[in-house]
Amino acid sequence: MTLDKGIIGKSYQVKNIDLDDKLTKHLQAIGMTKDVIITILNNKHHGTLIIKLRQTRYAIGRHISNKIEVIPCQEA
Amino acid sequence: MSRSLRIGFIGNPNCGKTTLFNAYTGANLKVANWPGVTVEKKEGHYTYDGVEHVLIDLPGTYSLTSYTMEEIVAREYIMSDEVDVIVNVVDASNLERNLYLTLQLLELKKPMVIALNMMDIVEKRKMEIDMHRLPEMLGVPVVSVSARKRQGLKSLMHAIIHHQDQVTSDPIIHEHKTVSKHRHDHHAEYAMVYKDEIEDLIDDISEQLLNKYPEIVNVRYHAIKYLENDPAIRKKYPLNKEYDSYESEIINEKYDFIEEIIHECLINKEKVALFTDRIDRILTHRIWGIAIFLLIMAIVFFLTFTIGDIFSAYVEEFISFLNISLENILTNLHVNELLIRLICDGIIAGVGGIITFLPNIIILFFALAILEDSGYMSRVAYIMDDIMSSLGLSGRAFIPLLLGFGCTVPAIMASRALENKKDRLKTMMITPFMSCSARLPIYILFSQMFFGKYAMFAAYSMYVLGLIVAIVVAFVLHIIDHKKNENPLLIELPEYKIPSGRTVFIYVYEKVKDFLTKAGTTIFIASIVMWILLNFSFSGYTTDMSTSFAAMIGKAIVWLFAPIGLGYWQIVVAIIAGISAKEVVVSSSAVLFAISNINSMEGMVLMRDSLATLGFTSLNAYCLMIFCLLYVPCFGTIMTIKKESGSLKYTLGVVGFQLLVAWLITFVVYQVGMLFI
Repeated sequence: MTLDKGIIGKSYQVKNIDLDDKLTKHLQAIGMTKDVIITILNNKHHGTLIIKLRQTRYAIGRHISNKIEVIPCQEA
Repeated sequence: MSRSLRIGFIGNPNCGKTTLFNAYTGANLKVANWPGVTVEKKEGHYTYDGVEHVLIDLPGTYSLTSYTMEEIVAREYIMSDEVDVIVNVVDASNLERNLYLTLQLLELKKPMVIALNMMDIVEKRKMEIDMHRLPEMLGVPVVSVSARKRQGLKSLMHAIIHHQDQVTSDPIIHEHKTVSKHRHDHHAEYAMVYKDEIEDLIDDISEQLLNKYPEIVNVRYHAIKYLENDPAIRKKYPLNKEYDSYESEIINEKYDFIEEIIHECLINKEKVALFTDRIDRILTHRIWGIAIFLLIMAIVFFLTFTIGDIFSAYVEEFISFLNISLENILTNLHVNELLIRLICDGIIAGVGGIITFLPNIIILFFALAILEDSGYMSRVAYIMDDIMSSLGLSGRAFIPLLLGFGCTVPAIMASRALENKKDRLKTMMITPFMSCSARLPIYILFSQMFFGKYAMFAAYSMYVLGLIVAIVVAFVLHIIDHKKNENPLLIELPEYKIPSGRTVFIYVYEKVKDFLTKAGTTIFIASIVMWILLNFSFSGYTTDMSTSFAAMIGKAIVWLFAPIGLGYWQIVVAIIAGISAKEVVVSSSAVLFAISNINSMEGMVLMRDSLATLGFTSLNAYCLMIFCLLYVPCFGTIMTIKKESGSLKYTLGVVGFQLLVAWLITFVVYQVGMLFI
C-alpha cells in the first residue's frame, strides 16, 4: 500500500520511494530510508499527512505520500 | 598568541544556530520556531582571550546534497576555504536526524566541534545523553550548550580554539556488530565506516583519484562523493572506470550507524513530548484547522485595531503637544516663517502623522512574533496545503504570504525556502498583495474618517480582499501553466513551545526600529519634498497649492484615476509619493491638507471636510483603500524582488502587473458602487 492510505495513529514500514531523484534523496537525508518506521499522526482526506519519522514530525503533501510504498507494522 | 579564526555554524534548520550566533555576537538576527528563518549567511565577531574571531551563521541544511537554495548556500560555503573551523550545531532533542549531517560533515575532515544545543529540553524530557560515549563514537569534541539560556558558550569556544588545527579525529572506540573482512581496519580512523563492498570501492576510487589527481586533499571524501554520484565531483575529477551510484546505500548505512549511536548514547529515547501531539490534534484538525487559523488571524487584527487605537490616542496627544510647543518656540525665536511652516506643516505633520500608528504596528508584530516562535507557522503550511496545491503551490508558500501581513520585504525573502524557482517567482508575485503593516495607517485613517462604527469591517475587508486577489492571481497563473506544477509539501513541524520573551522582544524591537528609521528617513524626506512641491510653483513660494508643482504633476495624470474614483490631483500626488513607502500616502495627505495631527479626531474631521468639499465620498475612500492595498509595493519591495529574482524584466513585469490589477479592481468596485449611490 502507499502511505497516503494510512490510518491515523498506526505505524508503517517504508519499502520503496517512487519519486524523482532529488526529492527521494532529500527524503532519505531526513531519514526516510528503507525499512524505517513511520507513524501517521494526521491524515487529511487527500493524503496530506503529518508523520513522525525518527522522532521528528513532518508535514508531507499527498503527491509525496502517495508515492511512498509501505507495509503496516505488526501491532506490538 | 592564537590566530583569528573563521568559525562556521552549520546544522539542521531550526536547531538554534542563529540563537547561538546572537548569543556570541550580541547581534539581533531574527530567530523563530520554524525551519528556514535564516536565508542568508551573516557574519559577526566574538573576542576570546584577546583574539577577535569571525563567526558565520549559515542557513540550515539537512544534508550536504543540495535541495533548496538555502542548502546550496550553506554547502558551498562550508566546503570553501573561508571556514577554518566547523561548529556543527546539533539539536540534542532531535539527535537522530541531526546526526546525519554530522556524519557527512565529519567526512570533510575539517576541524570540527559539535555544539549539542537544547540540552535543557533533553533534560526536561527526562532523556539523557552519554557525553562520554558520543565523542568516542564520533571522534570529535562534543560540548553541550543552551543557546537560549546562554550556557556553555565559553566551553564551546574553548573547544573550538583548542581543536582549530585538528584534522585527524580523536581516537574512535567503536566495536562493529559484524567483523570486517576488510584489508584495512578503518574503524580506528573514521567514525563512519561502510560495509566491505563500499569500502572496497572507496579504496579503489581513492587509489585511482590519487594516481590521476595527486593534488586532492582528503581523497576519501572525494571517493565517497564519487560513489554518491555527486555531479560536481564526477565532472571535476573524471575517471576512466565507470561506477554505479551507491547513494542510497551510503545514506542507509549512515542511518544504520546513527541508530547504533542512538542506542548507545541516548537514554529514555521513547519519552517524547506528548504535549505537541495533543495541541496538534486540535490545531491541525482537518476541519477545524482552517477555522482556527482564520479565527487566530481575526483576533490578531482585532487586537491590532482596537488595542492599538487606544494607545495611538496618547501618541497623538503627545505629537500635537510637540507641534504646538515647537511652533510657539520657533515663533518666539523669530525663526523664518517659511521654515516654521516646513517644520510644522511638512515634517511634523508627515512624520508625526505616521508615528501615531506605532502602537498598532507594535501589536501586529507582537502577535506575529508569538505565532512564529510558538511553532505554529509550519502548521499553517500543513493546514493551507490543500488550498495552495489547488493553486499549484505547496503549503509552504503560505508562510511568505502570512509573513506578508507584517512586511513584504522579509516575506519575499522567505520565499527562498521554496524548492523550485517557478514557485518562488509565483510567490514573489502574489506576496505583495498581502496587506503589510505599512498599509495599516491608510486603512485606519480612511476607514475611521468615512465609515464610523463600521470602520473595523472596512479595514478587515482589505485583508480579505488582498488574500483573495493573491489566491485568484495564483490560480490564474496555475491555469495558464496548464496545471502542470506539482510541488509537494515537505516541512518539518517543530515542537510547540512557549514563545521566548527575549525572541519576541527582539523581533518587535527590530521592527519598531525599522519603522522609526523609515519615519526618520524615507517619510521625513518624502514629507519635505512633498511640502516643497506643494508650496512652490514656477513663480516661487505660493499659498495656493492648486498652482504648485505637485498639483501640476497630479493634474497631468489625474484623468487616469478618474474612472476609478480617485480623480483628485491631491490623491494622485499622495499615491505617487506612496511608492517610496506606503505610509507616505498618509503623511502626504497630512501635508497636502496641512493637517498637523491627522490621526486625531480634529485632524480627521478637518480632512474629511476638506475632502468632502472636493466631492470625495466614502465610496472614493474605499476605492483609495483598495488601490493602496493592491498597487505597486514600496520601493524596498521592488528592490527585494529585483534582488531575489535577479531579473529586471521580471521585476518591471510585476510592478506593471500590480498597477494593472489595482486599477482594474478599483475600477470595478467604483463603477459598481456608483450604481448604488
